[in-house]
Amino acid sequence: MSSLTDRYVQATLRRLPVRQRTDIEQELRASIADAVDDRIGAGGDARAAEVAALTHLGDPARLAAGYADRPLQLIGPAVFLDYTRMLTTLLVSVVPVVAAVVAFLRAVDEAPWLTVAGDSLAAAVTTAMHIAVWTTVLYALIERTPTLRLASDRPWTPDALPAPPSRRARWGELVAGTVILVLVMTFILLSPVVSTEHDANGDPIGVLSPWLFDTGFVWVFIALGFASLATSFSRYYLSWSLPVAIAGSVVSVTGAAVLAWAAATDHLLNPAFVDAAGWPAGTDTWLTAGLIALAGWSLLQTIFDAFAYARRS
Amino acid sequence: MADDDELLATHLQELRRGTVVLACLLVLTRPNYGYALLDLLAQRGFSVDANTLYPLLRRLEKQGLLTSDWNTDEARPRKFYRTSDTGVALAGTLSHDWDQLDTALRILKGES
Repeated sequence: MSSLTDRYVQATLRRLPVRQRTDIEQELRASIADAVDDRIGAGGDARAAEVAALTHLGDPARLAAGYADRPLQLIGPAVFLDYTRMLTTLLVSVVPVVAAVVAFLRAVDEAPWLTVAGDSLAAAVTTAMHIAVWTTVLYALIERTPTLRLASDRPWTPDALPAPPSRRARWGELVAGTVILVLVMTFILLSPVVSTEHDANGDPIGVLSPWLFDTGFVWVFIALGFASLATSFSRYYLSWSLPVAIAGSVVSVTGAAVLAWAAATDHLLNPAFVDAAGWPAGTDTWLTAGLIALAGWSLLQTIFDAFAYARRS
Repeated sequence: MADDDELLATHLQELRRGTVVLACLLVLTRPNYGYALLDLLAQRGFSVDANTLYPLLRRLEKQGLLTSDWNTDEARPRKFYRTSDTGVALAGTLSHDWDQLDTALRILKGES
């Protein structure tokens, strides 16, 4: 037997279970020899006949997959929808949270802003890649394990259809959110000039820490406010899509992290105002705790939202 | 134009998928081996790729629809397949279904 056929047969058998090999080898060699003889009989050179016969049989990997009954796809139609749903849900919920937690921890360490942003981004990318790889591996295994595939094969009923909130309710939500956000931003911007308390010269004492305005950090809050407004509007006017969902999660999680960080590092309230207003000692501690709790709550809500949106998609 | 040909080929392939199994079960009531079967099916208008047919024969054998024997009488030993009793019964059922489809299509076309 010539080397080309040998190589073809070996390439096929290599991909088959050992116990099937002997039988398939004999049959395959006979089939190839028959095809070659046929072509030589029709008037052809032996080498060309062999090449033609093997070409006709095609890729040995494909032939072996046929013999072994192996799927020629990583994730087939039976589990593909479950796979994409799981992947989307994990990506939109876990990645922003990891990014926010890393950013928060680095910021509390008083790391430079570029480091905070870089570390947070790096953590997000690493997490996303791990989620993508392991989810894909898991579903590729399910695809290749018949018992697991049956377990995931629950029938679809119309009950599974999501009940979208009415457009009017969502419109109300959007209006309320917009009004609250505009009020908060106005309050922040006016805080240095409008106040209930005044110092000896009659100048107002702002509620918010002057640090925010001196460093220009206040513009981060304003920018986050506008970004959050933009995502609310795009959620209302655009249909659900992965980029919109990720942008929404990133904005709200960043907002929560920045707020919690500013509160935890005493960069939020103006101590002079607390003194002037005669608030009892410990008030600012409670306020800080409250703000951190609020940030945590908004984080949780983002996760739930992400799950709900991903399931509805 | 090439797209039209491709579309036609796809539709024909869809329509003929599954008929190869029936054709094999019917032809193999007389024992035969892989390469000769490929030739025979092609002559009867069931063109099927070798890399589809060879694994298919083994799958049908595993399902008990075909039986096989090595024929070593000739210089080149060949594996001969033959339709089993279960295979004959299945061929009967599938043929009946095919006839029903044919009748249904005739009615749809307004003949009857």
